[in-house]
Amino acid sequence: MDLHLNKEELNTCVQCGLCLPHCPTFRVTGDEAMSPRGRIKLMREVQDHDAPLTKEVIRSFETCVQCRGCEPACPSGVPYGHLMEQTRETLAEAGEITPLWQRLAFKPLEQPVALKMGSAALAIAAKAKLVPKRLGLPADLAVRQESLTASGDDLYLFTGCVMDAWQRDVHAAGQRVLEAAGFGVTPTGSLAPCCGALQAHAGLLDTTRDLAQTMMSSLSGDDRPILVDSAGCGAAMKDYGHLLGTPEAQAFSARVFDIQEWLAQHVASLPKVEPLDLVVAVQDPCHLRHVQKVHLATRTVLAPFVRQLVELDDDGLCCGAGGAFSVLEPELAGDIRARKVDAIQRVSPDVVASANPGCSMHLGGAGVATEHPMTLIDRALTT
Amino acid sequence: MSTLAVTDEVLVEFARQTVTNSPIAVEGNRTRWDVGGPLANGVQLLKAPTGVVEYQPAEMTVQVRAGTTVAELHKVLAEHGQRTSLPERGGTVGGAVAVGENHLEVLGRGSVRNAVLQVRYVAADGQLVTGGGPVVKNVSGFNLPKLIAGSLGVLGSIVEVVLRTNPIPAASRWLQATGVDPGAVRNAVLAPSAVLWDGDTTWVHLEGHLPDLDAETSVLGDLAGFEEVQGPPALPPHRWLVRPQDVSGFSADRFVASVGVGTIWADKPQPARPQDPAVAAVAQRAKALFDPTGRLNPGRSR
Amino acid sequence: MNLLGKAKDLLGRASASNDPLVDDLVDALGSDAVKVDAAHRALYAHDASVFDAGFAGPTCYPETTEQVVAIMAVAEKHGRAVVPRGAGTGLAGGAIPLGAPVIVALTKMNQIHDVDTVNRVAWVGPGVVNLDLTNHLRPFGFHFAPDPSSQQVCTIGGNVANNSGGPHCLAYGVTDAHVAAVEVVLIDGSVAMLGGLEDEPDGLDLRGAFVGSEGTLGIATKVAVRITKNPPAVTTLLLSFDSVADAANTVSEVIAAGVVPAAMEVMDQRITVAVENYVGAGYPRDAAAVLLAEVEGLEAGVALDAKKISEIGRANNATQVRVAATDEERALLWKGRKTAFGAIAQIAPDYYLHDTVVPRAKLAAVLEQVYEIADRHDVIVMNVFHAGDGNLHPLLLFDRTVEGTLERVHAAGAEIVRASLDAGGVLSGEHGVGVEKQPYMAEMFTDADLDHQNRLRQSFDPVCRANPGKVLPMGHSCADIQSLRQTPPGVWG
Repeated sequence: MDLHLNKEELNTCVQCGLCLPHCPTFRVTGDEAMSPRGRIKLMREVQDHDAPLTKEVIRSFETCVQCRGCEPACPSGVPYGHLMEQTRETLAEAGEITPLWQRLAFKPLEQPVALKMGSAALAIAAKAKLVPKRLGLPADLAVRQESLTASGDDLYLFTGCVMDAWQRDVHAAGQRVLEAAGFGVTPTGSLAPCCGALQAHAGLLDTTRDLAQTMMSSLSGDDRPILVDSAGCGAAMKDYGHLLGTPEAQAFSARVFDIQEWLAQHVASLPKVEPLDLVVAVQDPCHLRHVQKVHLATRTVLAPFVRQLVELDDDGLCCGAGGAFSVLEPELAGDIRARKVDAIQRVSPDVVASANPGCSMHLGGAGVATEHPMTLIDRALTT
Repeated sequence: MSTLAVTDEVLVEFARQTVTNSPIAVEGNRTRWDVGGPLANGVQLLKAPTGVVEYQPAEMTVQVRAGTTVAELHKVLAEHGQRTSLPERGGTVGGAVAVGENHLEVLGRGSVRNAVLQVRYVAADGQLVTGGGPVVKNVSGFNLPKLIAGSLGVLGSIVEVVLRTNPIPAASRWLQATGVDPGAVRNAVLAPSAVLWDGDTTWVHLEGHLPDLDAETSVLGDLAGFEEVQGPPALPPHRWLVRPQDVSGFSADRFVASVGVGTIWADKPQPARPQDPAVAAVAQRAKALFDPTGRLNPGRSR
Repeated sequence: MNLLGKAKDLLGRASASNDPLVDDLVDALGSDAVKVDAAHRALYAHDASVFDAGFAGPTCYPETTEQVVAIMAVAEKHGRAVVPRGAGTGLAGGAIPLGAPVIVALTKMNQIHDVDTVNRVAWVGPGVVNLDLTNHLRPFGFHFAPDPSSQQVCTIGGNVANNSGGPHCLAYGVTDAHVAAVEVVLIDGSVAMLGGLEDEPDGLDLRGAFVGSEGTLGIATKVAVRITKNPPAVTTLLLSFDSVADAANTVSEVIAAGVVPAAMEVMDQRITVAVENYVGAGYPRDAAAVLLAEVEGLEAGVALDAKKISEIGRANNATQVRVAATDEERALLWKGRKTAFGAIAQIAPDYYLHDTVVPRAKLAAVLEQVYEIADRHDVIVMNVFHAGDGNLHPLLLFDRTVEGTLERVHAAGAEIVRASLDAGGVLSGEHGVGVEKQPYMAEMFTDADLDHQNRLRQSFDPVCRANPGKVLPMGHSCADIQSLRQTPPGVWG
C-alpha cells in the first residue's frame, strides 16, 4: 500500500537505533514494534514491499505518542513526526485507523460553544465522581470561568479549544504577566477556535488544514505576534508553513511564539518581586522541547519568581499525555507516566511546572501537583 | 594458510618434543609448583623456550617466550620505562600466566589475565595453536587467551605470549599508619595501587606524578599519622581469595589483607570452596575437549 | 491478569500459532511476552548492521532468569536455536537470527539490582542501558567505564556479548576488564555463575571466555559490573593538523612517552565537517585531521599530561592546540565525536562502518591505503577512530538503491580488512565478528586455531544451538549453516 511517504525522507533512517531510549513506548515495552526505528521499518515494509497491513502493523503506528522525542536524538535528522502524521493520514483516509467515534469526538473542538457546554457537564460529572478515573481528568475542572477581555493590540494570546474550556485561568494568568511586562493583549477567543493539533495526530490532516485556514484568515489583519501558552498548539501552529506549503502559511508560522519563548526575551521588563517559596521541577512538554526546541526559555522566565528550579533526570522523556493518547491508550500512557512520576519523586519538588495542558492534566491524574509557569509567575507578581 | 602457521623454529622444535607417549608437564622455576595439587607420577618434564622475541615500546606490547623469567623481561622493559602486570617472585612468564596470580599491586597494574593479548600453546596433539592477537584491542573470535591464562597448563602448554605493557609511573611511595579504617583509606585516595591491612596497621602504595602523590599523602595525613616506609610488610605463606567485603571480618593470628581486592595472606590455608555444578560441567567439558587423553599436567586441576 | 486479558490470551492462542513451539513458549511466558506475527518477524530479522540474511522465529520478552531457563527448555524440546538480543545496535550482525531461531529480547530485564560500593560492583540486568547505569551511579561518585558511541542506547548485556570498547577504554580497558561475574543460562537450561567478586575466582576463567562470545555460549541474565571512581580532574584537548599522518604520529609518540590518556580520538576532515554541520561542536573545518585527547586523574598529573600532549602535538606540526575551558565546551567536543556516525547521514543514506585494529605505528600508513582503496572502488570514505589503541573505523558511505554500489562497498571493505591484517593487525577491535567478519577468520587464524576456538565454544554449548552460524567460518562445526540461510517460502521476511 502506498502510504504517500516521501521516499527520500523515509530512506534517511539508517537503523542505528539511537532513537530507542528516547521513545516512551519502547522504554516501557522493550518492543521494536513500539520504537521509532521499528515503525519506520514497518512504513518501508508497507510502502516499498507491499507488506500487508496486519493488526500488529496498525497497532505499531497507533501506539506512537507522537512526542517526537526521537527527532533530536536522531543523528540522521529523520523527519519522523512528518512521516508518522502522513502515515496516519493515509491510514485514516483508508479507514484503517481513527474510527468514526473518534472523529466525532474531535468535532466539538471546532465548535467552542458546544465544547464549553460539554465541559461544564463533564466538570459537574467529575465532581460527582462519575468520570472514569483512567481518563486522568483533574478533579477541579471549573464549571464556570471568568471571561477574557482585550487590554491592547501589541500581541494576540491564542486561547484555543480544550484549554480555554478547562484551563482558562492559565490564559488569564498569562495575560496578566504579559501586561505586567508592558504589552497590550488581545485574546483570540472565537477568532481562532482550534489549532487542529489533535486532529493532525489522529491523521485527520484535512480538518487541520481547514482549521489552519480559518485561523490564518481571522488573524491576518496585521503582523502582530501570536503567543501560545499550550506547547502542543504552538507546535502545530508553527508547522502550518509545512502543512499548507504556502508563503502565507510560512509567514503566519513565523509570527507564532510560545509564551515562555516570548517572555524570555522580555524578562527584564517584568517587575522584581519576592520569589514564591517553592521548589519547582520543570517538566518539559515534548512539543516545547523536541518540536519547538524552546524549553530552556521556561527556566529563564521562571527562575526569578520561585525559590529553586530543579531538573528531572530523564532526559526529557515523554510523560505519556500525547494529546488524546492518554485517553485512547490508557494502559501504555499509565506505564509511561509511572516513569515520569518516579523521576519527579527523585527530586521531590513542591510543584511541577508544565507548559502544556495535556501534560498537566495527565500528571494531575496520577496525583502530581502541577501548575503552568504562567500561573506561578502571576502568583508571584500578585502576592 | 601457510603464512599464518608459526614459523619460529624454537617453538616448532619445542612442539615436536611434546609429542611423546608419556604425559608431560612444563616446568618453570617451581615458585608455585604445588598450586592445583601434586603432579602425577611418571610425567615427563619439559622446559619452555626462552627469550624476548619482539618488543615495541610505542605499541606497549611485548612478545616473549614462556621460559623467560619475569625479572629478565622486566629488565628489558625498564630500559624503556615500562613493565607488565606479572608478579615478580622469581618465576617465569609462562608460569605466571599459567598460574594467573595477580601482582600485590593489582589495583595499579591490572590483572595478569588482562595482560595476555595473544597466547601460543602446544595442544595435547602437538599442534601449535595461537589465540588472541598481537594488538592492544581485539575481539576477533573466541577468547582463548582468557581460557588459557590461569589454566595451570591443563589445556595446552604455553610457549609464548604477547603481553600488554604499562609505563612505570614517575614516582611511587609506600605509606604506613596504625589504627585507621582501611576502607576509609581506600576511599580517600583516587587510585592506590595497593592498600594492605593486618588488622592493626594499614599500608598504602601510591604511584603517579610526584605532585599528585604529595596531594594524596596530605589527604591521608588528615586521616591518620601516615609515614613513609620502604615497602610492604612480609606476607604470611597461605593465599586466600575472598570478596573485598569479607576482609573487614577476617580473623587469623597473622594475616595481611589486600583491601578492595580481597586477597589475604594468612598463617593457615583457605578451606576448599564448593564449586557451582553448572560451572564445573563446563570446565570438565573443556578439559575433555582440549586434552582428551589427560596427558597435560596430570594431577593438577582448576 | 484481568478477565479481558485472559480472554485475549485464549483467543490469541487458539487463533495464532498452529505451531507447537509457539504454544509452549506462550504456556511458559504468557501471550504478551511472545510475538510471532509478521511485523515482529520483519523487525527482529535485523540489527543495526547492513546484513539482510536474517530470518526470525518467535521473539520472547523474559523478565526473569527463570523465564530464560523456561525458554531454553522449550527451545531444547523443539530443537530450535536461541539468539539473545539487547538493543540491536550491533554493526557486525551478531544478533541477526539465522534459521528462524527463538529470539530472546532482554530489554525487559533492565533492573539495576544493587550498587555495592564496598566490592565496587553493580549487579544489573542485561537489558540495562549503558548510559542509564552511569547516570544511576553518578550520585555514588562512580561510573561504568566502557562508553561505546552508542552508550545512550546499547545495553550491558550487549556490551558483555561484544566485549564493547569506547573512547575511554584506552586507559580503563574494554568491557572484559569491567565484568566481575556473569550469571548465564546455558543452552541446557542450567544456570551458571561465571567469575565472582574475588580477585581471582576459582577454576578456569570462564567469565573471560564468555565476555565477547557474541551470544554463542549462553544467555547472560545478570551481570556484576565493576564500577570506577569518577576522577576529580578532567582535561580535554583538541589538536588540529594539516595531515592525518601528523595526527597519527602524535598519538604514537604520546603513548611512547609514557602518557596514557583516558581517550585519544582522531577524525579526518570529511567527518569533521559533517559533524560540524550537524552539531556545531566547534571543530575546525579546515584541518586535515583533529585529535581529541582527554586526560583524567588528579589535578597536578592531569596538567602535566595535558602539557606533554600539547608539546608532542606541536612537535608534530599541530596547527592549533585548544583546551576545553568549561564543562559545556568539553561536553560539546564529545558530543561531536559521539554523533559522528549519524552525522554522515546528511551525505549518503547508508553507511558501512568497519572496525579493525592495527599497530599504532602503522596507523598513518594504513590510513593512506584506506583512502586509496576507497578511491579505487569509487566509494566515499571517512575516518573517525580510537587512535589511542590503533582501532580504525573507516566509514564507507553509499546509497544502496544505486545498483552495484553495495558490491563495491563490500569489495572495498574486504581490501581494508586485508590491509589491516597485512599490517600486523586484527579483524575487529570492538564490533565483533558476527556474520560480517566470518569470511576473514581463516585469514587471521589457522585451522588448528579455529578448531580450538570451536572447542571453547563447545565446552559451553556442545549442541550448537546458541546463536549458531556466527563467529567461526564455514567448515567449522556450529558454522555449517547452509540450511540456516534459507527462508521458508511464502513467508514475509
